[in-house]
Amino acid sequence: MREVAIVSFAQAPSQAAVDETETQMLYPVITAAIERSGLARRDIGFTCSGSADYLAGAPFAFVSNLEATGAWPPISESHVEMDGAFALYEAWVRLQHGDVDTALVFSSGVSSRGNLREILCLQNDPYYLMPLWADHVSLAALQARALLDAGLAKESDLAEVAARARRNAQANPNAQVRGDVTADELLSEPYLVAPLRPSDCPPVSDGAAAAVLMAGDRVGEVCERPAWIRGIDHRVDPHYPGVRDLTISASASLAAANAGVANAPIEVAEVAAAFSHEELILRDALGLGDDVDVNPSGGALAANPIMVSGLIRIGEAFRQINENGKHRTLGHATSGPCLQQNLVCVLEGNAW
Amino acid sequence: MTDASGTDIKFMSQVISLDYAIRTAPVNREFGHNMQEGRVTGHKCPECGRVYVPPKGFCPICVVETSKADEVQVEDRGVVTSWTVLTPIQYHGQKERDDYALASILLDGASGTVGQQRLLDVELPEIRMGMRVEAVWAPEEERGADDLRGWGFGSAITGFKPTGEPDAGPEIYEEHQL
Repeated sequence: MREVAIVSFAQAPSQAAVDETETQMLYPVITAAIERSGLARRDIGFTCSGSADYLAGAPFAFVSNLEATGAWPPISESHVEMDGAFALYEAWVRLQHGDVDTALVFSSGVSSRGNLREILCLQNDPYYLMPLWADHVSLAALQARALLDAGLAKESDLAEVAARARRNAQANPNAQVRGDVTADELLSEPYLVAPLRPSDCPPVSDGAAAAVLMAGDRVGEVCERPAWIRGIDHRVDPHYPGVRDLTISASASLAAANAGVANAPIEVAEVAAAFSHEELILRDALGLGDDVDVNPSGGALAANPIMVSGLIRIGEAFRQINENGKHRTLGHATSGPCLQQNLVCVLEGNAW
Repeated sequence: MTDASGTDIKFMSQVISLDYAIRTAPVNREFGHNMQEGRVTGHKCPECGRVYVPPKGFCPICVVETSKADEVQVEDRGVVTSWTVLTPIQYHGQKERDDYALASILLDGASGTVGQQRLLDVELPEIRMGMRVEAVWAPEEERGADDLRGWGFGSAITGFKPTGEPDAGPEIYEEHQL
């Protein structure tokens, strides 16, 4: 395998609704990521983006997003109708080919334009769940209920996760929901969809993020503290939630094993738990002990731009190495209902 | 599965409707206000000089931001660079009955075309590349300022009609196939 590192990352502050177009939102983010990489725009060998036209409410919205990259002369690029973390995976694979050394990854999402509890229904199977309009919050509540019924968590455990996300987010200028709150305070909220309270659920967010990847010997020339991708893998559970044990995440466990999570201690993990109970499931599935700092950014409970949340997790894991001097961190992304698809990315700093 | 009469159900329709509320971006709103006043405007890139109509707020070629300071007015007349004749299929909700043409128009003073513009007052076989046309403006009270999403002219211009001037030569439109 070719060694590939993340050398820069940038994101827009998550907002309840942006005034600008999706392309305009991306423009300064992509520019910042490229400038921080120390590379010239023309040095980017491959570009991969992630977004969903169903969020934008416009066909081929991803094409106009490319204008934010400065795609002239023509560039080599690809797009996934998925979170930017999966675009990062494609870029990592592309760099394995060996003929290009640098890649730009970006993603964007404007959830504010429509009703997510309608739009995300479209990712369900068209025969059984789609006609029921089984929305993502209700499906998440079923998963949380399964966890509670199995005695694996209490409602106060969910509230602890939600309260910690808000407290951690106070130090994150890009977060959308923050506050010095306690679990007891959050437990006094009425349910949104039982057993989930509003604070157990993510905010609706617009956002964008970008990262630059680099392979080979030139990494040291442009970045003093790169984050090397030591392992990256993504796996899927069956599409229909009814055939799964919702109290576990088999695909996350498999991805973690393949990414080598357990090979050495993880200091910081940023997991894309958009609902509080998901963090508990993911801690188990990824084998993260109590000594691991989980979601110091506040995580997806504090800001959840769909299609960007996973790339931000990897970006935050990168920042822990690049800015905070950590050595081994983890970024996780998910897609589909009830943690159906999971991507795990293990990052390491330069060897001491 | 069978229906009420006992016949096997082979197909069932599932009609899905999603509503979106798209905020008009500040750059597009400014353009829309100008259109309400009968002025077609764009942003001129301070580096390459290309004029983008409608404005994007940046030049995607040079990758520099543009603003109100870079605003220029272009003509409401130009050249047909390409067109398509559409034969409307009579699906539910279709309002068109007869064949009609949509064209890409290169406005005088703009660096790129605006697509999907209705051609008016012209026999369909007469349409050709290089044909000079001018805007047919909607009455001022029917021009919405917030129906612009970064492309097209919204409700301010209902279409373009021939001016009767001599055609533009291929050197004008050969760089603009779409």
